[in-house]
Amino acid sequence: MIAQAIGGNLDYAVMLGYFVAVMGFGLYFGRYTTTTKDFFFGGQRFSWWLIAFSCVATVVGSYSFIKYSAAGFRYGICSTQSYLNDWFWMPILVLIWLPIIYYNRITSVPEYLEKRFDRKTRIAATVIILFYIVGYIGINLITLGRTLETLLGWQVMTGAIITAVAVALYVYIGGQTAVIMTDLVQGFILLIAGLGLFGAAIYHFGGFGNFWALLPQDHKFAFSDFAAPPKFSFVGIYAQDGLANTGALMLMHQGFILRFLSLKSVKDSRRMVVCWILVLAPLAAVATSCGGWIAKALVNSGELVTEPGDSFVKAAHFLCAPGVFGFVLAALTAALMSTADSLINAVSAIFVNDIWKPYVKPDSPDKHYLRVARITSLVAAGLGLALVPVFMKDTIYGAHSMFTAAVTPPVLMAILLGITWKRYSPAAAFATIVGGAILIGLSFIWPDALVGPFDFGMGPDSYKFMRALFGLLAAGTLGVSVTWLTKPKPDSALKGLVAGTQKEAMRRFKGGEPNRRPGSKARLRVKIDRDISEENTIILPQAALETMAAEPGDLLYASHIRWWYGGLRSVHVKAGPPCDCQDGGLVRISPEDAATAHFSDGQEVVVEKII
Amino acid sequence: MNMLRVWPIVCEFGIGAVLCIVGIWCGLRGGYLDLKIAEDRRLLVTLVAGYLLMLVLMCVFTFWAPFWANGDSV
Repeated sequence: MIAQAIGGNLDYAVMLGYFVAVMGFGLYFGRYTTTTKDFFFGGQRFSWWLIAFSCVATVVGSYSFIKYSAAGFRYGICSTQSYLNDWFWMPILVLIWLPIIYYNRITSVPEYLEKRFDRKTRIAATVIILFYIVGYIGINLITLGRTLETLLGWQVMTGAIITAVAVALYVYIGGQTAVIMTDLVQGFILLIAGLGLFGAAIYHFGGFGNFWALLPQDHKFAFSDFAAPPKFSFVGIYAQDGLANTGALMLMHQGFILRFLSLKSVKDSRRMVVCWILVLAPLAAVATSCGGWIAKALVNSGELVTEPGDSFVKAAHFLCAPGVFGFVLAALTAALMSTADSLINAVSAIFVNDIWKPYVKPDSPDKHYLRVARITSLVAAGLGLALVPVFMKDTIYGAHSMFTAAVTPPVLMAILLGITWKRYSPAAAFATIVGGAILIGLSFIWPDALVGPFDFGMGPDSYKFMRALFGLLAAGTLGVSVTWLTKPKPDSALKGLVAGTQKEAMRRFKGGEPNRRPGSKARLRVKIDRDISEENTIILPQAALETMAAEPGDLLYASHIRWWYGGLRSVHVKAGPPCDCQDGGLVRISPEDAATAHFSDGQEVVVEKII
Repeated sequence: MNMLRVWPIVCEFGIGAVLCIVGIWCGLRGGYLDLKIAEDRRLLVTLVAGYLLMLVLMCVFTFWAPFWANGDSV
């Protein structure tokens, strides 16, 4: 790391201004949070594009700019591998996992594991997932601490404490809605900053061709060599990131589960995932890695001297005017806050739903759980801070890779087998999680004996990556073996919880047969009607029902006509019997639903059928 | 051909194809992914197209782009 602070006062002012603006933005959305459903799921009302951007902001952690730029500087464009292997998980995500958790109204992975298997599996998973998320918070905080040390000359711990307090504060007040809305802004900013930096570099070099020519040839391949170098081989990155980490992000990361459940419908999840994985993730790959490529080209042209770890900051400092550099630094801050906030909210959700509610204080009013959730947010940030000194001993890439490779495989394997295989038994799931975790733990004591056979000849330097492959195979083998020796749950207990029964979950969610006939949206004026108070039902004209191809009893979604609200002002309701009213352009809605959606009498709204 | 450059593609897209097939098969079983519905057909096409797009992109940056001599040929 470079010794002295870089950047000028204008840069720091821009960065500070951004920091304050995002915090204020997050705090403003506290007004939308009055229940635990709001705190954890943002009221389940958001549009796909809003969640797609916020997912990108969450995926791109503060470590991403530093870590991938360092990898880009050392190894070239193959540093993008980690962002480009998500697509393969998409069918499992959108066709199995999302319908199961959304339609069963599952609030956390441990809750799913109890429904699918038993209570002891839930407890084992709760411990591992909490450990995983709190560790993730620690990694994010140390990265920003190190970045602020480089930029401002602060101690690592000072930078980590300041950002942890800021993030915990707006999560405490605004919950998931604050997280989503701030992440939307931060997603935009980090993409604009990263891609803007790339654009500025191309301009500086006089075109893409000149930039490309300045990179060494071995920096121009999409993948690194299959089994070399040990710290960045294809097989190591693929096992650790493409399989364990991406699988964990999709299936067991509570922050993403909460985000998916914040969507207004499962249909929107399909659009969201396509936009996120196919469009925004590749852009994020370029945005986060390009600092390293640019620094390498600048070094080769004799214009810059830098270490890999400083490549992003130094390349940005070299190319950007004062003030603009501050904006790029703000993107780094954005990346930190947008990941840490989701994780803090996730810890809170698991603690409340999987520990406090079932074991400590069941059957309490929602307000009590909301208070516990808020306090847990602060505690989660504190625990993340406590882990900062632990991760300070390793490089950021190394710490992150080691951590995800060691922690995720057992729970990931249990979820994957659980959702795809009916025969997979509760005893096998418990063995997968506990036995897998023990075997991974033993691999730290006897690495050569356990991870060595899977190192593809790369030696001990590759173990922190290849441990993921060992963990997946060990946990998977345990799960399959124990399944054949034990009794599965009866089919009747698995309805809606495994592949092949998703439609059952849909029926349960709706309370009737799903209606998937294609229809259009209807535009109507609100009339608040006290006669249908407390019913969560709206009364529509027959013509509107026909436009939507909807029937009485179908689930509908009414929202503000401005699409760019992204569902912030909206509500889910059931279609009541059609009215025979004179004015065909009115929708009658209860005062409670109107208040939830922030609708007023006479306001024009859009109504659409969900199922 | 340098097979050390080919194996990553075979490995990533081979295992990736297995994951995709598992997902699609599990969607089709039980009728959740209903090919009689246009929206579901579009999703299936998108899944396959996304896979092929990624494959083409990786092939371009493995077999072609690294050998662009310099700026003139881009």
